[in-house]
Amino acid sequence: MPSALEQISSSVRDAPAVLQEIKNRTGRKMIGFFHPVVPAELIYAAGLRPVRLFPYFDDPITKGDAYLQTYLCSYLRADWDQTIRDRYRYLDGVIIPRSCEAVTFLYQTWKRHNPYQFIDYINVPWKRSGNAISFFAKELGRVKQGLEQFTGKEISEDSLRNAIKVCNRNRELLRKVYDLRKAESPPLCGAEAFSVVMSSFVLDKEEHSGLMEQLLSELAQRSQPPRVDIRLLISGGCVIDYRLWEMIESSGVSIVADDVNNGSRSFWYSVEETTKDPLEALARGYAMVPCAFNTSIGDRFKYISEMIREYRVNGVIFAMNKNCESEKFVYPELDKKIKDKVKVPTLNIETDYLIGMAPLRNRVEAFVETLRA
Amino acid sequence: MAEKKRERPAFNSDIAAAMSKHYRDVQTNKPMAYTLMSSNPLIEVAYAAGIQPAFPENYACVCAARHASEEYCETAEAHNYAPDVCSYCRNNLGYIYDPGGSPPMGGIGEPDLLLLTTSACTHYFKWWDALHEIYDKPLVYVNTPRVMEPQSVPDYYMDYAMREIEYAIADIEKITWVKITNDRLSQAVKLSGEVVDYWQKLLELQKAVPCPMDLSDLTNALFVLIVLVGTQEGVDLMKKIYDETRQRVAEGKGILSKEEESHRLLWINIPFWYKLGIFGYFEDRGCVFPFSDYTQYIWGTTRMDGSKPLESLARKALGGELNTSVDDQIGKLLKDIKDYHVDGVIAHSNRSCRVLSVGVLDAVKIIRQELNIPAVVLDCDHTDERVYSGATIINGIDAFLEMLR
Repeated sequence: MPSALEQISSSVRDAPAVLQEIKNRTGRKMIGFFHPVVPAELIYAAGLRPVRLFPYFDDPITKGDAYLQTYLCSYLRADWDQTIRDRYRYLDGVIIPRSCEAVTFLYQTWKRHNPYQFIDYINVPWKRSGNAISFFAKELGRVKQGLEQFTGKEISEDSLRNAIKVCNRNRELLRKVYDLRKAESPPLCGAEAFSVVMSSFVLDKEEHSGLMEQLLSELAQRSQPPRVDIRLLISGGCVIDYRLWEMIESSGVSIVADDVNNGSRSFWYSVEETTKDPLEALARGYAMVPCAFNTSIGDRFKYISEMIREYRVNGVIFAMNKNCESEKFVYPELDKKIKDKVKVPTLNIETDYLIGMAPLRNRVEAFVETLRA
Repeated sequence: MAEKKRERPAFNSDIAAAMSKHYRDVQTNKPMAYTLMSSNPLIEVAYAAGIQPAFPENYACVCAARHASEEYCETAEAHNYAPDVCSYCRNNLGYIYDPGGSPPMGGIGEPDLLLLTTSACTHYFKWWDALHEIYDKPLVYVNTPRVMEPQSVPDYYMDYAMREIEYAIADIEKITWVKITNDRLSQAVKLSGEVVDYWQKLLELQKAVPCPMDLSDLTNALFVLIVLVGTQEGVDLMKKIYDETRQRVAEGKGILSKEEESHRLLWINIPFWYKLGIFGYFEDRGCVFPFSDYTQYIWGTTRMDGSKPLESLARKALGGELNTSVDDQIGKLLKDIKDYHVDGVIAHSNRSCRVLSVGVLDAVKIIRQELNIPAVVLDCDHTDERVYSGATIINGIDAFLEMLR
C-alpha cells in the first residue's frame, strides 16, 4: 500500500485526473471556488463536491488574455484561461467571493461567458463585528438557497451540521500535522506540508482526513531527520507553485510555518459546532480567515507573530505574486512590524505563473547565507 | 500635442477658486479627516459633524495634473510600495514620506482621523489601514457589500449598510465630542440631494449638439459633486455650472461649433490626469466627449432625500459604478451611446483601477458588436505618468480616428 505521503503527492500532482476520476466514480456535481473564505461546508451539505480552484502548472496562458489584462494576477488569468479551454471539465459551477479586484470582477465576465450551470458571488465582510457576522450569515443563507435551487433539494440543518463536523475534523488533523513542525527536527518538510494542504482541496474531506490519520501514524514511525538550523515562515497570497517550496528548501532550510491562502489560512480557524444557527457559526468562523484583502495589518501581524513564536521561526520570506495588489499593499507596514517588533529578518521575492526559479534561487540562497552568518 | 486655444466655460475658474479654498481649508480647519471619493456616505456625515474632509484621491489628480505624481510614486516605491499598487495610493504615500519643498496646492496636511468606506476597490481598505499604521489616528470604517446584481439588491444589504453608517456616526461622535443631530444630518443630505439634482440635469444637457462641455470640463465639475456634496457652497456652485451650461445650450454654443463637431465619443474609465490636453488633441480633430462612464455612473446616481438621511446615505454607499463594475454598466453604456449620439469609443485600460478595467475588454467587444461603432483600448495609468507612452497612445488614437472617418 502506498504511504500516505505518496498518495497525497500523487493526488496533488495528478489533480485533474484524480478529480475527473472522482466525478466519474461518484457522479457528484462539483463546485469550484476561490480563496479560503468560501465555506466548503455549504457545498458539501448540498450533496455537491467543493473544489478549490488553482491553475495547473503545465501550459502558458493563451486564450485568457482576450478577456483579462496582463496586469492582473497571472494565477487568476491562468485559472480563467484553463476554464475557457475546458481544463476543468469536471466542474459544474463556481462560487466567487468578494476578495481581490481581479477575482471579484471576474464574476461578471464569468457569468457572461457562463461556462457552468451554477455561478454565484459571496460578499465576504471585511470586518468581524456583530453587524458584519449577522450580514455574512444572511449572505450565506442566500447562497444556500441558490445551491438548493441548483440541486432541487433542501439543505437540512442536520446535513449542514454534519458538513461542519467533517470539515472541522479535517482542519483539526491539518493542525496536528502542522504542530509536528514545531519540533527541533520537524518530521516533514515544508514542501511536504504544502502537498498535505493542497491535497485537501482535491480529495474528499473524509478520505483526506483518513489519509491525515495514516500520515500522522507514519510520521510517528519516521526516523528522526537532522535538526534544522534555519526555520522559515513563508507569507503571501496564493503560493501554489510547488517548485518554489522545493527550491527554498533545497538551500538546506526548512519552511516550518506559513501564512498563505493555500496553507494555514485555509484551516487555522474552526467553526463552532454548538451554535444555534449553523449559518451564523460558518459566518463567524470564515470571517476570521486572515486573507490579505479582508484583514488589517494589525491582525495579520498578530497571526504571523504568534506563528513566529510558536514555530521558532528565524526568517520570513514574503513570496508575493506579480500584480497581487492586496498582499503588496500590506507588505511594507507588515514587514516593518516584523523587523521592528519581533526582530526577524525578511526577504521579499516576486513570483509569477510559470516563473523561472533560477533568479529567485540566487536571492533565497543569499538570504539564507545572511541568516547563517 | 499643441491644441487650439478654445474658450472654456467660465465656471472652470469658479471651480478652480473653490478648489484653492478647499485646499486652504484642509490645511487650516480642524478636525480634518482623510476620506474617500467613491460613493462615500461619510462625506455628508463629516460635514454634518463639522469635520473638514480631505481627499487623497483628488489630491493625486491635482499632483498628476501638475506633474508631481511621478516623484511621489517613486518615493512610495522606495518605501516598498510596489508599482502594482494603485498610483493614487502611491502618490499619497510618497507625499507622506516626502512632500518636497512646495507640494501642489500647499499639500493635503496630516489628518486627525481617517474615514473609510469600502464601497469601491479593495485598495480603499488596504490604503486606509496603512494610513492608520502610519499616523496612528482613529479609523472609522463603514463596510458595505459589493452589489453585483443591482436589479435585485437584497433588503439585508441595505440593513447592513444603514447599521454600519449608524455605528460610524456613533464612533465619530465619540472621537469629536460633537453630536450629529438628525437635523444636521438631514440638512447635509438635503444639500447633497440638491447638488445631485443639478448634476443629473447637467448630464442631460450634454446630449445637445453641439456639446456644451467636453470631458475636461465635466471632470472639473466632478470636484463639486464629490468634495462639496453636503454643503451650501456645493449647491451654489453646481447651480452656477448648470445655469451657464443651460445658457450655452440655449445659445447653441459648444466646445466645438456645430460645424466643427464631427464626432462624439465615449471615454471609458478615468482620464490620464497628467495629460488632460489629450482632449484638446481630439477637439482639434473635430471630436468631443459628451460623457464617460466615470462621470456618468459613479457619483450623483442616488436620489438623496433629506427626510430619510440614513436610507439615502446607505443607498449612496451601495450605488455607483465603483461598487458594481464596468461590466454591469454595459447595458447603460449601450443606451447612453445612442442617447448622447456617440459614434466612437476610447477605452482606457487603467492598470491602477481594476474596478473600472476588468470588464473593459468585454465592454468594448459588446459595444462593437451591438452598435457597430469603432472602439480602441489604450493601456495606461490614471496618475503614474511613467506608464504613459506618448507615441503608443497617439498612434492608437490616430488609428482609431482613421477608422472613425
